[in-house]
Amino acid sequence: MEGVSYQRFPKIKIREVKDDYAKFELRETDASMANALRRVMIAEVPTVAIDLVEIEVNSSVLNDEFIAHRLGLIPLTSERAMAMRFSRDCDACDGDGQCEFCSVEFHLRAKCMTDETLDVTSKDLISSDHTVVPVDFSDSSGYDSADKKGIIIVKLRRGQELRLRAIARKGIGKDHAKWSPAATVTFMYEPEIHINEDLMESLTLEEKTSWVESSPTKVFDIDASSQQVVVADAEAYTYDDEVLKKAEAMGKPGLVEIYAKEDSFIFTVESTGAIKASQLVLNAIDVLKQKLDAVRLSEDTVEADDQFGELGAHMRGG
Amino acid sequence: MNAPDRYERFVVPEGTKKVSYERDTKIINAASFTVEREDHTIGNILRMQLHRDENVLFAGYKLPHPLQYKIIIRIHTTSQSSPMQAYNQAINDLDKELDYLKNAFEVELAKHSREY
Ligand SMILES: [Zn+2]
Repeated sequence: MEGVSYQRFPKIKIREVKDDYAKFELRETDASMANALRRVMIAEVPTVAIDLVEIEVNSSVLNDEFIAHRLGLIPLTSERAMAMRFSRDCDACDGDGQCEFCSVEFHLRAKCMTDETLDVTSKDLISSDHTVVPVDFSDSSGYDSADKKGIIIVKLRRGQELRLRAIARKGIGKDHAKWSPAATVTFMYEPEIHINEDLMESLTLEEKTSWVESSPTKVFDIDASSQQVVVADAEAYTYDDEVLKKAEAMGKPGLVEIYAKEDSFIFTVESTGAIKASQLVLNAIDVLKQKLDAVRLSEDTVEADDQFGELGAHMRGG
Repeated sequence: MNAPDRYERFVVPEGTKKVSYERDTKIINAASFTVEREDHTIGNILRMQLHRDENVLFAGYKLPHPLQYKIIIRIHTTSQSSPMQAYNQAINDLDKELDYLKNAFEVELAKHSREY
């Protein structure tokens, strides 16, 4: 009964990885796989974010819900999120979503006592769990390490105070964008560029220059010594068709042919810092596998159909 | 005011089946699969994987309405196969592809972290 396999064996080549950035090539698969991965990275890889805020004191200029919303948008380190439970299916706290398996508690206390404005930032959020804390951007590549400030939540003047308790929960971007670990995830088709050398050589240097400059991005260049048109950076091409239109206008159609390779993709992944960019890709693969597993036919559906088959055979007089 | 709750998009309501199957009454070896709380992510990869199966004569999916959180996948196969067999095969092949992909990514990642 087992059919032959139609499985593909995609190839990966990583070009660059940093904590919050990854660029890689995905080959020998199709756009549906590339797009599914992109969609899952943006909307279905879980993270932890503040979801419930109880305000004790707020005499700041921002209203309670405004502050609650800002707290929700602060990225929290979420390496643990894949292993955590969603509050809605947590049986340890039956639905109130405040137990250790499905939530992390935060406290914030700040009061301005001086004439100088006090900045309340993500650094003032005190976590009950050292693995889930506001993302620290300050030490990554020494970005102005002099003032390690964190993300500003609100500013207080003398006498103003903010005191609150917050609950962070596991969630996905599909529910609310605050849970999305992705800042941007994009992929492009790898372009394949063929220059018609014979036709190109019928152009004067001036014509070549004007054709090369018709591209809004620097895709082509002219070799200084040979005065030949060369592809400088194929990936700079944005599929804008400008060089094709220019060739047409110059009376040289077919000067260049550009195809999008249908099985090669160049991915750019930027993370919010909640998880590493490379981990985001791996988690997306896991989540997609779980999703596929969830759409398998259940035993009873198969059984019901088998009976239907017998009934059908019976009715056909078998 | 009367917008559906956000979780409606991905939580299968109690008493509802994730996948239901319905044979076509007129065409043999044709059937529709209704998949609850899924969208283009699953619909499109399944469709494209089904197209790789030479026994599949037709495979398509639709998202009937943006506020009905389900997709309908329709499959028509030759007598050598059945919609159910093709559907299972597509899921298995995609699952294996993702295993392979994950391994390939991890190998590349290890190569890169050594170069650091
Ligand atoms: Zn719980």
